[in-house]
Amino acid sequence: MINSQKIHDGAPIRRKSVRNRRKQFAGLLFIAPALILVATFFVIPLGMAFWMSLHNWPLLGRPRFIGIDNYVRLTQDAQFWSSMRFTVYYTVVVTIAIFAVAFPLALFADKAHRFTKFYRTAFFLPVVVGFGSASLLWAWLLDVDSGLFSPAAEYLGLMAKRINLLADFDTTFWSIIIMVVWKTAGFNMIILLTGLQGISTEVQEAARIDGASSWQRFRRITLPLMRRTIALALILSVSGSMLAFDQFYIIADGGPQNRTVTAVYWIFSQSFGSFRLGYGAALSMVLLVILVFISVVQLRLLRTPEGM
Amino acid sequence: MKLLKIVALAATALATTLSTSAFAQEKLTMWSRSSSEAFMPALIDAFNASHKTQIELQIVPSAEMVQKYATAAAGGSAPDFVSLDLVYGPAFAKSGALEDLTDVAKSLPYFEHLSKAHIGTGTFEGRIYAMPMSADASVLLWNKKLFKQAGLDPEKGPTNWAEIEAAASKVNALGGDIRGFYFAGACGGCNAFTFMPLIWASGGDILVDGGKRATLDSPQMYDAINFYRDLVAKGYVPESAKTDSGKNFFGGFATDKIGLSPIGAFAIGNLVKNYPTVEFGVTFIPGKDGGKASFGGGDNFVVTAGRDNAPAAKEFLEFVYSLEGQTLLAKLGSLPTRDDVAAEAVKSLDQRYQVATEALKIGRTPSSPVYNDIINSSTGPWKQMLNEVFFGDDVKGSVTKAQAAMQAILDEAD
Repeated sequence: MINSQKIHDGAPIRRKSVRNRRKQFAGLLFIAPALILVATFFVIPLGMAFWMSLHNWPLLGRPRFIGIDNYVRLTQDAQFWSSMRFTVYYTVVVTIAIFAVAFPLALFADKAHRFTKFYRTAFFLPVVVGFGSASLLWAWLLDVDSGLFSPAAEYLGLMAKRINLLADFDTTFWSIIIMVVWKTAGFNMIILLTGLQGISTEVQEAARIDGASSWQRFRRITLPLMRRTIALALILSVSGSMLAFDQFYIIADGGPQNRTVTAVYWIFSQSFGSFRLGYGAALSMVLLVILVFISVVQLRLLRTPEGM
Repeated sequence: MKLLKIVALAATALATTLSTSAFAQEKLTMWSRSSSEAFMPALIDAFNASHKTQIELQIVPSAEMVQKYATAAAGGSAPDFVSLDLVYGPAFAKSGALEDLTDVAKSLPYFEHLSKAHIGTGTFEGRIYAMPMSADASVLLWNKKLFKQAGLDPEKGPTNWAEIEAAASKVNALGGDIRGFYFAGACGGCNAFTFMPLIWASGGDILVDGGKRATLDSPQMYDAINFYRDLVAKGYVPESAKTDSGKNFFGGFATDKIGLSPIGAFAIGNLVKNYPTVEFGVTFIPGKDGGKASFGGGDNFVVTAGRDNAPAAKEFLEFVYSLEGQTLLAKLGSLPTRDDVAAEAVKSLDQRYQVATEALKIGRTPSSPVYNDIINSSTGPWKQMLNEVFFGDDVKGSVTKAQAAMQAILDEAD
């Protein structure tokens, strides 16, 4: 604007700037609905949560301003940090597991078979079940007496007696990992599939003519060209896993012995079990900062040379 | 003729609108949790039928009651009366949400006969904010059929821990799916109900000094823990108990495959009605060398502060504590809350209710504004400790950790 003012002079510019301003105003009107939505449902609640985090805000009774006391206190909260460690551990394991399953599925579903459509639908089916319902289903499957796995293993003679899968950390953890992979691999498959289909067949064919092996084509062509798609799937998977709650709450109730309490579970428990809404809000703010940090790091690592 | 009909119809419609709107102004609102659905609606109907004051009852899901009432109280849209789980009395009283009912309570000639456990948690800093509404008390159930099969006297329940263990052992020896003993091993609330009495009956306690000090680290606690650990180690307890967060608290015994189980009086009516084939006896939860104790549970009646509803509250409470009210409650699944008419109120019911009524007389309830935090919460110290000590390896470490955690919560609440 400053430059253009230097070059031009007089009335025409005024008219133009008026027109510009009108254009800007029209633009603002166009995005206003989106702005209002974002403000109402994200910015204002976020600001309120931050405001709450500066208070001793019980579910019952009057809030009291306490500055950063909640934040000081959470540095000493052993359960929060162990929940945080567990959540990160879960995120790493489950993300690797999801990709290990979703990538082959996508490659498989990408090829033209007789039943391609059937396979795609079948792999995607668990995704449309809600996380809560899926967790309830698996809570039943994992039940020691009335479930499927334990009684079936006993019946088939694999185990001498029924084992309560949810009474031990490792069996609980891996059961939930398997359930989440079953539940979300289909979604990641679809995302990866769109990336795969975005790679033009000409490039692949040219490479094939040049004598590249299928592994070389995957490694040198498919993977680099899918960078953005992978970044998207990765960020969705990581941020979703960092916010995991339903499956641990419904299937394991945080057990055995609070060892599968995730960060969000602890926030929930502090807010609505211990009625400390202010402290819960402070924990949420910390979790938010950690999530933003992780997402930024991921975006940087996966940035293509020409930028995202 | 047709016109006349229309006019008449319009007139009645107008009259009903007028009368309901006139009623609506007099009607008081009341909330009750879903677990009291068996008796609260009938009780309110009976009250409305015989009184000018009218109460409109709304059932709220048990798990949502506390949050819902708390947010409604903060927003000014709370109901006039609430039937609230008695353990939450101190938390709500402390926040100033409840009307002081001390004068109403003291004006009742039978005040001394109301459930001590209820009045105890209803009292905060010397004033009474909550009065007994409905009641439950923990007792020990044994399966008569399995006792008979195991060669035990089916008419005699155990009176100390050694007898429980001996009976569990013999029942367990029947083999197959049959187990000697059941408890929900991953449920804080259930074990407050059924495990705390073991400690009380042996002379110990959980909270002392007016609820300011936790005493988890007591010899009685270690004794009770070792008693349960033994039952688990010897295989008398089903594998599913390890992860039962309360869903199967009642269901375990109802399968007819469990020898003994400490549980609430609510199970008596439920078994009689829904599992008529289960033959069972009811006795007190004993201490290590005898004695008896019980956890007094149920709901307290509270009045939302600042609405001048004390006269109506008194009218309602007098009805609840009358023989008619108490009999109605007892018939539909709550124990009577007034002990001088209790025997009369349960007279026509299953004889086993008599034991439960006696249990409520000696019923105790720990009182603390942070009760949910220290006992019921699934991530709280009580639940975590019990699951660790029943099924884990480091008893001393777990108890010490829980003692510190519980004390820290109590100190902070002060």
